[in-house]
Amino acid sequence: MTMTHKERVLKTIKGEPVDKMPAFTGFGAVLVEGLEKYDLRFAHVHLDADEMAKAAAATSEMAGLESIVVPFDMGVEAEALGATLNTYPHSEDLLYPTLRDKFVHTADDIKLPEDIANAGRVPLVVEAIKKLKAQYGEEYAVASWVLGPFTLAGQVMDLNELLKMSFKEPEKAEAILDKLSDMIIGVGKAYIAAGADFLSLREMGATSDVLSPRAYKKQIKGFSQRIVDELKATGVPVVYHICGDTNMIIEDMAALGADAVSVDQKNDLKASREKLGDDVVLLGNVNPWDVFTQGSKEDVEREVKASVDAGADAVWPGCDIWPSTSTDNIKTWVETSHGLTPRRNGA
Amino acid sequence: MGSDERKQELFGKMKEGVIEYDEDQVVEAANALVDEGFDAYEGIMDGLAAGMEVVGELFDSQEYFVPEVLMCADALYAGLDILRPKVDMAGREAVKGEVVIGVVEGDVHDIGKNLVKMMFEVAGFTVHDLGADVPIDEFVEKQINTNSDIVALSAMMTTTMMGMKKAIVKLKEKNPDVMIMLGGAPVTGEIADMFGADGYSENASNAVSEAIKMVAALRKM
Repeated sequence: MTMTHKERVLKTIKGEPVDKMPAFTGFGAVLVEGLEKYDLRFAHVHLDADEMAKAAAATSEMAGLESIVVPFDMGVEAEALGATLNTYPHSEDLLYPTLRDKFVHTADDIKLPEDIANAGRVPLVVEAIKKLKAQYGEEYAVASWVLGPFTLAGQVMDLNELLKMSFKEPEKAEAILDKLSDMIIGVGKAYIAAGADFLSLREMGATSDVLSPRAYKKQIKGFSQRIVDELKATGVPVVYHICGDTNMIIEDMAALGADAVSVDQKNDLKASREKLGDDVVLLGNVNPWDVFTQGSKEDVEREVKASVDAGADAVWPGCDIWPSTSTDNIKTWVETSHGLTPRRNGA
Repeated sequence: MGSDERKQELFGKMKEGVIEYDEDQVVEAANALVDEGFDAYEGIMDGLAAGMEVVGELFDSQEYFVPEVLMCADALYAGLDILRPKVDMAGREAVKGEVVIGVVEGDVHDIGKNLVKMMFEVAGFTVHDLGADVPIDEFVEKQINTNSDIVALSAMMTTTMMGMKKAIVKLKEKNPDVMIMLGGAPVTGEIADMFGADGYSENASNAVSEAIKMVAALRKM
């Protein structure tokens, strides 16, 4: 029996057999061609629920991507805590919004909103999820994501200060991460209440490019565990992602018990699969810029197959799809995936 | 104890202080070096920069990570603040030139940039630091106003790379002789070539170790 996109995606995340290998992501996949289709400006799609929903859905409409993901920028949680968002409205280039103020120096600087679901742009993203669910919810997986506390701390604090604090005054840093974890759980639950089919927890910055595996285990993992547990308790599947060099912490990542683990192109996926065995659902790990944006059709086909050969349950880009990526390359990713035998074959 | 032996001892203490991120030890040794009339420039190169070179090796071998490197950099700066004003400019090409440095618009993170800046300061350059999230035109303006020899552009994210391309075109248009360095996560050698830049470092962790290797290279100049 042929499955819907949504069934195929959710079963894959949960490690259940599927009819064919799906093509989806838990990160943003807005395309310039999609923006053009609806006559939207990138700098503005972050600020309007209807535009956000259209920009996200366009990639599935045009290229058949099986997930529809909002939001696109990393600023939602930080803005809801009081930081000012800069969307670069005057820039001619594609720039993702950033936060202007690094206003957190101690945990006391963080004032959790009384009603997180209505703070900053959280209600805007909630509205976008609801719109997408109403229009596409039967067919496609509508998903969202939240930052991990360490990565969020990097948005609201000076990174030099955060990294040195985590080493010199670990208790002070942990008090900050603890409060940010509460914020993230609140935001994640708001997205789930709006109907998100699955949620990704992106602790992008806690990579071994930056932090030692020891620091990850001591300072990051516990907070990730609490967030994964609380979000999973809602019954919605959770994917846990870290960027960069993750081979040294892949077992810790898997041990959190999220439904699936996602890694980027710096992870040696074959080595990870060997370490983790067959039961863990692994998503990854095509280089979004080099392959999807810059690569040819043949490059996309080859790299999609290479990730599956290395042990991916489904091919995810290592990060957000860069908007100038062609619709054709996304189509190739979808078609190539559909032609491959799923690791858990239910055809 | 002979004078040369004492000098080497103080260099060793500074070096070790940088490696062990022990600011107090670096400050004590740097002060002693000045008080006892040894050459400050040698102290910077053979004490502080030599220590940072070892830090780079520890980073490459994944014994140290970014927080450790940042603390080593603090220890280095503690020594540099003491020694740099004492460098005898006469008869020495201590001042190598001027450099404009910054992170391009769209990127608010500046760790890589700060380490590259440290490298230039150790080597005796005058550094004009524009900070992070800097519009392209500010790089061009600052280069013209200061007539700097080098412009170092940093970007950690793919999203800001196109800004670098524009900056290079504009800078080379105004001043074909200016040397341009690119650094940051998404920048590969190929892209640096494509954009017409003169130097690059390959990714986030490479930006850290490249900066440190440049300190090592400059020691030999």
